[in-house]
Amino acid sequence: MAKSNDIGQDDVSQVVILLDVNPYFWGRKSIESGSSGLTFNQFMQSVVLFVNSILLLNNLNEAAVVAFGTRSCRFVFNSKLQGRNDKLHSSPSSRLLKHIDEFLNTEDALPTSMEQTNINESSLLSGALSLALCYIQRTLKSGQPHPQPRVLCLQCKSDAPQQYVAIMNAVFSAQRSMIPIDTCAVGTEHSAFLQQAAHITGGIYMKPSMPEGIFQYLTVVFATDLHSRRFLQLPRPAGVDFRASCFCHKKTIDMGYICSVCLSIFCKKRSSCSTCGANFSQRQPTSIGLKRKSATITLS
Amino acid sequence: MDFRPNNIAVVANAVESFIREFFDQNPLSHLGLITIRNGVAKRITELSGNPEAHIRALRSNMECGGDASLQNALDLAREVLAQIPSYGYREVLIIYSALSTCDPGDIMDTLTKCKGAKIRCSIVGLSAEIYICKLLCEQTGGVYSVALNESHLNDLVFEHAPPPPALAESAIASLVRMGFPERVSEDAVALCACHKQVKVGGCYTCPRCRARVCELPTECNICQLTLVSSPHLARSYHHLFPVPVFEEVLLNLAHSKLPNVCFGCQQDLPIGGSKELGVRVACPKCKQHFCFDCDVYIHESLHNCPGCESLPHESNV
Ligand SMILES: [Zn+2]
Ligand SMILES: [Zn+2]
Ligand SMILES: [Zn+2]
Ligand SMILES: [Zn+2]
Ligand SMILES: [Zn+2]
Ligand SMILES: [Zn+2]
Repeated sequence: MAKSNDIGQDDVSQVVILLDVNPYFWGRKSIESGSSGLTFNQFMQSVVLFVNSILLLNNLNEAAVVAFGTRSCRFVFNSKLQGRNDKLHSSPSSRLLKHIDEFLNTEDALPTSMEQTNINESSLLSGALSLALCYIQRTLKSGQPHPQPRVLCLQCKSDAPQQYVAIMNAVFSAQRSMIPIDTCAVGTEHSAFLQQAAHITGGIYMKPSMPEGIFQYLTVVFATDLHSRRFLQLPRPAGVDFRASCFCHKKTIDMGYICSVCLSIFCKKRSSCSTCGANFSQRQPTSIGLKRKSATITLS
Repeated sequence: MDFRPNNIAVVANAVESFIREFFDQNPLSHLGLITIRNGVAKRITELSGNPEAHIRALRSNMECGGDASLQNALDLAREVLAQIPSYGYREVLIIYSALSTCDPGDIMDTLTKCKGAKIRCSIVGLSAEIYICKLLCEQTGGVYSVALNESHLNDLVFEHAPPPPALAESAIASLVRMGFPERVSEDAVALCACHKQVKVGGCYTCPRCRARVCELPTECNICQLTLVSSPHLARSYHHLFPVPVFEEVLLNLAHSKLPNVCFGCQQDLPIGGSKELGVRVACPKCKQHFCFDCDVYIHESLHNCPGCESLPHESNV
């Protein structure tokens, strides 16, 4: 994992936090639960405190926050820009809160397309992940000894199956660059996509049993740098949900039909593939057609 | 040609990255490893779809020495590949560093048998061009190449990872029923159906009959359902939904309202009047602007446009 040659460098972290500010989740929640449970204010306060603790743990640590809603994603905080745009009189936390306010206002003002009668309520996790990875790529390319990057994803709304392909693309890219994706399902349901993301990239997945205590979970579990994780007993996943989503209805399924040419997933039998156009002949093969076996021989 | 620190270390690195790339590009395919040393060919892994198991076996079989027998190697490979059903595609990739072959019989017989069994043989040589290797590859429809240096070797080996173009057309399209098992808790104790052993953690549950299996991809021993992990399939989806090519934005058009920073990495972008070097590209779909580095990263590794993904999904995918 950490291959830093410089002693001390391995503890330096760059954390990109993805923040789900989905108004459908937080709005409904405040109506349903009244004052009990986690409110948006508490959530934001915990995140602000968490960002501060990351920055205080090591003065070389870096933190960035990407907010994602239902209609846009944007960077709302970047510790590297401190002192460039804002002068002494604004603390990181007030800046973060100010930008989140702005983000929520602009997202509110975004026009909804007319023909879209049923509004998409899912959060744009795939966009936020893609942004975070582009940003981290710049750190990895810088050449100088750089902090160890990782992503922390705080998702509230349940998974959006239509983002499955995009999320998996981002997860594989993170895996190739050895960037762990820590994930935390703040909402009521477990998230199959977050479980897979953490499992594949070597991050930690957690679903807090008491969301009101989110700050505790954040500091105890997600604030630990990659080096220290080797010495700690961090929560181990209670299994990983490997379900996929079908291409035809964007439903999450545990059994389905796969096109042997392009590997598209469908929930029902069909006569041709909607992705690659392949025609499925009547004869039932016993196993998958697109199999390529190869014996690699290495010679000494 | 001698490689540093030694041939075997360089070859092992090339093979390791090849194994990973192979499974990335051929998620449902299988692969097995054979070593050739001291005149004998030895199977070090069975055909399977688990990259980590192959790499582990490779790393623990790093000794070398003696003569190489191409014939023994091909005979063993033929035996291994004979298990596959007839519609499967059989391929042998040989990484060969010896300058000769020391065979017990007539190598031409073996060549004919390989041809008969429709096995495509490719060889990446480490030293000089050898006539029999060239002949073998030509006769079986494979590719013969000789590496000039380490990076050339890596490139040559990597060229064998994508499925051969003929495969996509010849494959019979079929719809295959598959299950996506759940991975059970790391502390759960269970009896696996494949080895009939008690295992702690790391097992998968068949969604149809709830039997436990140890590794994916596999076929459920109880209900015969093909079991795969869905991320395994998802590795190739970026080929199906490619990111549109970004277009360069010409700066002399002197737009006043160009974004200052790259939408992806937040780095400053070159602005009209300034003499700053660098290019600025834009996604034709979402019109967001990106820097050159992000353009490369998005198309080569990420396979998502962050701008498009930041818009509500309607018919995306
Ligand atoms: Zn469907
Ligand atoms: Zn298809
Ligand atoms: Zn087993
Ligand atoms: Zn079963
Ligand atoms: Zn950029
Ligand atoms: Zn775009």
